[in-house]
Amino acid sequence: MGNGDEPLSGTLASHLPRSLKRLWVIPAVLLLVFLVYPLIRLTATAWTADTVNALLASTLWQVVLLASVQAMLSVGLSLLIGIPIARVLFTYQFLGRGFILALVTIPFVLPTVVVALGFRSLFGDLIPNGLLLVVIAHAYINIAVVVRLVGAQWSTLDRRMEVTAATLGAGPMRIFSTITLPALRNSIVLASAVVFIFSFSSLGIVVVLGDGSGTRTLEQVLLRSTSVLLDFPTALAAAILQLIVVGLVFVISARVSRHEPRTKIILERARVRGPQAAFVVTATCLVAVTLVLAPIASIFWASISSSGGLTTGWWSGLSDFDNARIGSPLEALGRSVGLALFTSVIAAILGGAIAIAVMSRKAIVATLALIPLGVSAVTLGLGILLAFSRGSLDLRGTGALIPITHALIAVPIVVAMATPSLRTVDPRRYFVALSLGAGPLRAWWTAFGTVFSGVMLAAGGLAAAVSLGEFGAATLLSRTDSPTVPVQIARLLSKPGESAFATAAVLSVILVVMTMSLLLVVDRIASRRVFT
Amino acid sequence: MFRFIAVIMSGAIALTACSSSTDSNSGVQSAPDLNTVRMITHESFVLSPSFVEDLLEQGIDLEITSTGDAGTLTASAILAAGQPTADLLFGIDNTLALRATDENVFEAYTSPELASALPQFIQDTQGGLLTPIDFGDVCINIDDTWFAQEGTSVPANLEQLPEVANLLVVQDPATSSPGLAFLLATVARFGDEWPSYWEALRDGGVAVAGSWTDAYYTQFTPSGGDRPLVVSYATSPAAEIVFAEDASVSEPSTSVLPDSCYRQVEYAGVLAGAENSAGAQAVIDAMLSRKVQEDIPLNMFVYPVRADATLPEVFSDFTPVIANSTSLPPAQVSEQLASLLDTWGTVMNR
Repeated sequence: MGNGDEPLSGTLASHLPRSLKRLWVIPAVLLLVFLVYPLIRLTATAWTADTVNALLASTLWQVVLLASVQAMLSVGLSLLIGIPIARVLFTYQFLGRGFILALVTIPFVLPTVVVALGFRSLFGDLIPNGLLLVVIAHAYINIAVVVRLVGAQWSTLDRRMEVTAATLGAGPMRIFSTITLPALRNSIVLASAVVFIFSFSSLGIVVVLGDGSGTRTLEQVLLRSTSVLLDFPTALAAAILQLIVVGLVFVISARVSRHEPRTKIILERARVRGPQAAFVVTATCLVAVTLVLAPIASIFWASISSSGGLTTGWWSGLSDFDNARIGSPLEALGRSVGLALFTSVIAAILGGAIAIAVMSRKAIVATLALIPLGVSAVTLGLGILLAFSRGSLDLRGTGALIPITHALIAVPIVVAMATPSLRTVDPRRYFVALSLGAGPLRAWWTAFGTVFSGVMLAAGGLAAAVSLGEFGAATLLSRTDSPTVPVQIARLLSKPGESAFATAAVLSVILVVMTMSLLLVVDRIASRRVFT
Repeated sequence: MFRFIAVIMSGAIALTACSSSTDSNSGVQSAPDLNTVRMITHESFVLSPSFVEDLLEQGIDLEITSTGDAGTLTASAILAAGQPTADLLFGIDNTLALRATDENVFEAYTSPELASALPQFIQDTQGGLLTPIDFGDVCINIDDTWFAQEGTSVPANLEQLPEVANLLVVQDPATSSPGLAFLLATVARFGDEWPSYWEALRDGGVAVAGSWTDAYYTQFTPSGGDRPLVVSYATSPAAEIVFAEDASVSEPSTSVLPDSCYRQVEYAGVLAGAENSAGAQAVIDAMLSRKVQEDIPLNMFVYPVRADATLPEVFSDFTPVIANSTSLPPAQVSEQLASLLDTWGTVMNR
């Protein structure tokens, strides 16, 4: 989490050419304008004395307690599933590795309403709505967070320690618990913090898969207070409380994290040798693929079946569906892709500038960039609406609000994933380049350019994926005649009738395939640079 | 890398440029004297493109943006009261209307077209602040095929529901608008005794879903679930035909239980402090015109308020207007909503 006092930032900061040192201003201004200002504006509008009463009342604190337990269980299950997958994907090289890495990322970017319905039709008869189903769904969504964060650190792990321990007679479990696990501590802590926050502030999943009292979240209280009771003091209190909890989680996770040695090498991934390794890799991959694909398969099934049996009609009828007056699905697809591209550019610039901010000890910017994790899409959307829908600040018509909001939502993930990779740089290359006569900018680029452009690429790619699947902010900010794909899926799912449901399923499958292709491309390009 | 960014940038700009040119209403160049009116509505708002095109011919450039569901829409309007984010709002309903009118969200306007509305709507304006545009009912929907196959008798009224509660799925009123309407229907029918009615439903094994989509698409028997009774809309049987896979399907396999219906009215209003209130008034008049009123049913699956609007055949055949649906006075809803939801949560252990 880019603490200013980490040795890393100190070293890199002294290598930063003066011209780049001021780049941190860009993300700082963007975050102030599009995040802090709307939130302050919303708070100022909704604040009354009742907010204080609501903050002090026990009802909200009970929700905090319940949601914390739920979130901790979700963290536990995510780690249990994610760590073995991270190990196989980031310590072995095998055919199909990139495909599986992209595949496990899909649940993270799918619209939650799609995940929730996939789970309902898959487990509806087996597991009743409630805590268990909610925790399983949260683990499902967050596999990618654990796999990618822990995996990134795993690939930089010096395996000689493990080998030495093995030759001294330690068993695999002992090696894992005494050597590997402690070495992965920082990424596990960070992944746990992120999963905790996502599960703590979950909405779509708890509404569809929860049972009310036992699985309530502050986000759910917020929705009920805003859109059913119009009880703004309580809504604001819930939003504030959520920000406080999220802030606390980050403070704790930063405290628990250890200082890292400043330079790390990325190791070659091992070939799969011997029957045991082959078994481990195959089994893990099979489990991962089954886990991820099961709910998606039930959606795919819905896209090819009808009351009259199997059909390809929903797919072939996609371009004609406009007749049914919900708006053309194909246009929505084009629109979503355009928005995703736009989002990726903003996020790449933000991500790159934040990386530089981290290097120049402006860690406060990186911390600011994490705020959206704790702010609900509804809160941020309403804030942005109030701040930028009137007079000279009217940005609604420009179409820029959705990509900006999507970039803000994606940036925390980008920061979490990118900051560790900055540690893999060997600053000596900078001095070598300088001594060979390069100017400071040129030398900086030689030393840090690959990492830096990798960070920007990954930021752009991930943000595009998040944008493709994002629903909450888009539903608050989109023009009715131009819905994004997730907004249109939700619209279709709120209409009775076979073709509405099946077309929503078709769109979801297309969304999965698009996201998957995007992630494959980004992972491939990025792997040549930093992100293994 | 800079070249890479430049390529992406130009691509994105080109793409947004294309998409915005298709977005702006059917490519007509906005003349300087064009009168721009901004409308906010909920995400379920749909009308035929001719609505916007016809307005454009009158010189009105209507920009429509959606703000979440009807509740979030109302919330955003109240938060921006006096400094609205648009000129008019469409989609506030009779459950929440009073809260918004109390907060001075709207300015008075009575459309001359309102005189053509059905008699019960002419005075339904919350003191001249709102204009009723359409109405609909939330009712128990019945899977007739299932009841025919099982040879079980279909419940005839609300009182018989607890006996077959294990066949019924409702929605949580705290997260679902039809769920709330059904709760209000039971309050309207049973008065202060409503909690014991829900205790009977609970003991009978009623299922509670978090959302309409879950209830209708995974728990209702026609969708492969195990509950042949679901809380949905009066027009759902008609929608089943309109959205059927097979165009030859001519009769719905579901029907509604008229005794269970709760009336919802949707209003439009000029937002107080609007930059273009004259334009907003013209749009409200247009929404009450016969052409737009007749366009409403097949787009939003609700009924027009205008008396001389002809219903599409699929509506008049299968989902005629429910004559005796109930509703609670807005003042009572506004006053009791929070305690109703709390009590419901306690009764249902949610």
